[in-house]
Amino acid sequence: MKSQGNGLRLYAILYLAFLYAPIFLLPIFSFNDGTIIAFPLKGFTTKWFALMAEKGQLHQAVINSLIVAGSTAILATTLAIFAARASTRFEFRGKGAIMAMIMLPLVLPEIIVAMAILVILLQMGVGLGLTTIILGHTLICTPFAIAILSAAFQSLDKSLEEAAYDLGEGKFSTFRLIILPLVLPGIISSLLISFTISMDEFILAAFIGGTSPTLPVYIYSQLRFPKEIPVIMAVATCLVAVSIVLLIIAEYFRRRGVAKTGGKDSGGFL
Amino acid sequence: MSKDAMIHLQDVQKYYGDYHALRGINCDIKAGEFFSLLGPSGCGKTTLLRTIAGFEDITSGVVMIDGKHMEGVPANKRPTNMVFQSYAIFPHLTVEQNVGFGLRRDPRPKAEKDRAVAEALEMVGLKGFGARAAHALSGGQRQRVALARALILKPKVLLLDEPLSALDKKMRENMQVELIRLQRQVGITFILVTHDQEEALVMSDRIAVMFEGEIAQLADPETLYRLPNSRRVADFIGHMNFLPAKVAGEANGEIDVDVQGLGRCHISARQAPGGNRGEEPSVGFRPETLTLLYDGQTATDREATGLIEEVVYYGDMTYYDVKLDGVDAPARLSMRNVPGRPVLDRGAKARVAWSPSALVLFR
Repeated sequence: MKSQGNGLRLYAILYLAFLYAPIFLLPIFSFNDGTIIAFPLKGFTTKWFALMAEKGQLHQAVINSLIVAGSTAILATTLAIFAARASTRFEFRGKGAIMAMIMLPLVLPEIIVAMAILVILLQMGVGLGLTTIILGHTLICTPFAIAILSAAFQSLDKSLEEAAYDLGEGKFSTFRLIILPLVLPGIISSLLISFTISMDEFILAAFIGGTSPTLPVYIYSQLRFPKEIPVIMAVATCLVAVSIVLLIIAEYFRRRGVAKTGGKDSGGFL
Repeated sequence: MSKDAMIHLQDVQKYYGDYHALRGINCDIKAGEFFSLLGPSGCGKTTLLRTIAGFEDITSGVVMIDGKHMEGVPANKRPTNMVFQSYAIFPHLTVEQNVGFGLRRDPRPKAEKDRAVAEALEMVGLKGFGARAAHALSGGQRQRVALARALILKPKVLLLDEPLSALDKKMRENMQVELIRLQRQVGITFILVTHDQEEALVMSDRIAVMFEGEIAQLADPETLYRLPNSRRVADFIGHMNFLPAKVAGEANGEIDVDVQGLGRCHISARQAPGGNRGEEPSVGFRPETLTLLYDGQTATDREATGLIEEVVYYGDMTYYDVKLDGVDAPARLSMRNVPGRPVLDRGAKARVAWSPSALVLFR
């Protein structure tokens, strides 16, 4: 039995190495004093990070991405609050079908969605740009937001609302005083996850972004120039750091939400 | 409608789609009364409570609270407050904030409201718990917070939806006594929903026993126990033995009955409070109305013989299942265990004393 256990452990280690080793290479090369991405390392430098500051296009791309991700997070989360509340609290005709359709983009090949949207936008004569990316990203982020928020609304005891109502509050003040504070961790978690997904989304941004590149699109365009690659590594290192911080914050709020409502942790995205 | 009725229910009907949840409820609940709705799950008792609270609309009928029609009056405008089965303590607020929640729209100055909160907490025995986080409380403490939160608004009626079902036995028994004390202290009408007959008997002034959306019997605990108006109610409240019977005649308020195993006896018409839904007539009696006779003892009234089939020892009590001669099914009788009185063995012959005055006739 012991050897079998060791075999499984080896498998697990290999699996994790395959998953994360490439990501660990990013920071290593971003501090490497050489333009060629290969071992052996040449020496330690921070000049690639310094170079980042001089690239105007890069700055524009980062600003574009922040605008897109911020707007997407707010839009998707707002829409998801309505959907999650409706699906967890009310019974109505066709609820299952409606929820399935809303959640479908989660598994739909993104390239198909991107192509379809592009064709329609061109037919309608809508100018491509940040607005169209925001709409596309909202489409793909909303299912994630609903999944997170449904869990938050689900763990809410219905009698909490009734108790507040019974104690003299109206429907709106009950929502504000009881429901909102209790699902707030879920809302924050949803905002952060949507933000993160939108931030590194490439296909839609490339298809329907027109001449306004987001950060992933910009990075891809720079890969054609070998001398730019170390700078890209530095950018990517920053991105990884930001992503990890955001996800940790999101998970922190999700767990705090579960603890607050006294629910049982059934596991989230992380 | 009686003049002192706090709650007046008249032919209250409630449908959920095709499901007939309340089938014409008529009852008056007096001011200051401790009233219980008792029944098995699905009998409509919680629906009726939520109807009074204003959480459920009724299909037809009249609900009046303190002489006012409640049609179209939402839950937040009714003079009722509720203690929920899950307690519904707001987990993100402190104990104080929970208890004071209903005072948010109260125009009184903050100092006065704080005092009201402190008083409410003291009343339920949670003095000094005000600053605690609500989600860190134990079950019994949550129960008390829920009570304080509902009572601080001085409602005309306090509605309690199975408030003790989540507590363990000891805790439950303590809370029963405390709820009675609290009700006497505040003098508010309490309406309790429960499926636990013992709890209803212990706490209530009057009990409405409900089956399938109807009130089967509405009476004080003793009447309910001694004179149930149907076999179904008798079966639900404690244990009752039934023996097949034939009515031989009736005159001057006395009924002549032939009871299987017990023989011919006279039963007062008062002991035949209701029907039996077309079943064969039977008489019922409670376990404690039969007494085992030991050597040398004789019955003061009537005597029967039988065989002890089962002995269940409870410490303070012993239950015997005795198969009376000429009877198909064993009857349960209970004896208080006192020093010097031995517990009899299974398989022993038994002489049993009984009295026609303890019989209830279902015909």
